[in-house]
Amino acid sequence: MAEGIKAFRPHVTWANARGAWPDMIFSTRVRFARNLEGFPFPNRAEPRQLAEIRRLALAAAKATGLFTRGHFIKTEALGQLEKRFLVERHHISHALAASVLPSGAAVSNDEDLSAMVNEEDHLRLQCLCSGFAIEDAFRSALKLDEALGRELPFAYGGKFGFLTACPTNTGTGMRVSCLAHLPALSRLGRMPQVLENLSHLGVTARGIYGEGTCVLGDFYQISNATCLGRTEEEFCHNIDRVIRNLIRQEIAAREELLKGPLRLRTEDAVFRALGLLKHARRLSYEEFMQNVSLARMGAAMGWNMGVDFSTFNQATLLMQPAHIQAAAGKPLDAEARDVFRAEYLRKKLA
Amino acid sequence: MKYCEECHKAAASVFLKLAVNNKVTETHLCPACAAKKGMGLGLETGAFNISDIVGNMSGYFKDFLPPERRTLRCGSCGLKYSEFKESGRLGCPGCYASFESQLTELMTRIHGAAHHSGRAYAGGAALKFSKAEAGRRLEELRAELKAAVDREDFEGAARLRDAMKSLEARRG
Repeated sequence: MAEGIKAFRPHVTWANARGAWPDMIFSTRVRFARNLEGFPFPNRAEPRQLAEIRRLALAAAKATGLFTRGHFIKTEALGQLEKRFLVERHHISHALAASVLPSGAAVSNDEDLSAMVNEEDHLRLQCLCSGFAIEDAFRSALKLDEALGRELPFAYGGKFGFLTACPTNTGTGMRVSCLAHLPALSRLGRMPQVLENLSHLGVTARGIYGEGTCVLGDFYQISNATCLGRTEEEFCHNIDRVIRNLIRQEIAAREELLKGPLRLRTEDAVFRALGLLKHARRLSYEEFMQNVSLARMGAAMGWNMGVDFSTFNQATLLMQPAHIQAAAGKPLDAEARDVFRAEYLRKKLA
Repeated sequence: MKYCEECHKAAASVFLKLAVNNKVTETHLCPACAAKKGMGLGLETGAFNISDIVGNMSGYFKDFLPPERRTLRCGSCGLKYSEFKESGRLGCPGCYASFESQLTELMTRIHGAAHHSGRAYAGGAALKFSKAEAGRRLEELRAELKAAVDREDFEGAARLRDAMKSLEARRG
């Protein structure tokens, strides 16, 4: 394992289960898509231009003072495993990990702020917060956007606003998203209806790693579907309303799971899941996610699981494939990973 | 009753269905507008000539089909509008001005609006290019300046000279 990711601490603040409703909203993210005036967008830029953009962007990020003691990453200098680790931390996207062209990222010391360079746009600025924290995430992301926007000339036209490579991001360039954990709605088979309703409210639901990824462990990323024609605050407000409504539905569903004959079934499912997590000798990431989803819900219901809620939260981060290999200090194949994961988790839950 | 899609006043009596690359377009026109579009259809006079009709139709569809038929290009990066339609990705910030009317329509479809109502941006510091990048940009400007002088575009040349001066001042 190269020095690159050793510098990252195992725990991150945005997974510490703080903030409002952490049992239902794992984290909140606000990102801005930005581009530099005077350069083609990454899909049309030459490698030498991409290298120049990265040099300018990382220097500007440093100059803002928001990345003191942070990480400055050149993606193509990293190995597959290190890139995967950064994807699992939500600092870079799958697309950036696959790119062989000059790209990179600046990540703050607390890992709450990051600036991804030369993905679909020159810059993707983001702030990640624990729990349901739209206002905080928005303020911090905006601070980063404004600081970098003083250091660099962003591409902006009065009519269309901030100009981006894909017209779906034009305007505010802003995406507000909450990673919602909805095990009770899923268990009651309500998710298809919930997702159908969401699609009429100007929001999109995606899997845990964003666009084009599958749903794992009943985690859904809910974000605004459009970003032009309204103010940033209005978009935030809309997501805020949708998420509050979703929280109400999940609370009602959890109450349903505790009524009548369903209660015993729910308890049985939760404690079986806990037993599996505590005693398995081989554990794939998918199986871990399915079971931690139930155990996490049990802990949130205040049941005596012998494990606190934030341990489950951090575990969802640490049990990911590249994190397992980082903890092992060496690359492992799938079978070896599953064995290591089971043992590593037993220690965490002991 | 269906109204003419051109003048929106008269009743449409000419119905045209055309399949291009598996895309079917249907057009309803009144006889007057159809005639204006060169589709007065020789049928009435009996002078039926298939090549005339096809020729007239392609004249009409130059306005009607999506604009890439005219190879619309971005003046800044050279991206063709057809390439954008293929990939869904624009080439540079300048594409927004080059394809403004097409994008206005597209934005309305995607976002339900075509005007930014969010934060205004006052602009940031000028880029401090690396020596190599500044050198390349100066080369490009020098070539453009020479071309401007050759075609006696002295206003353009003055602008380019200013751009070169400011670039030289910012050279890292």
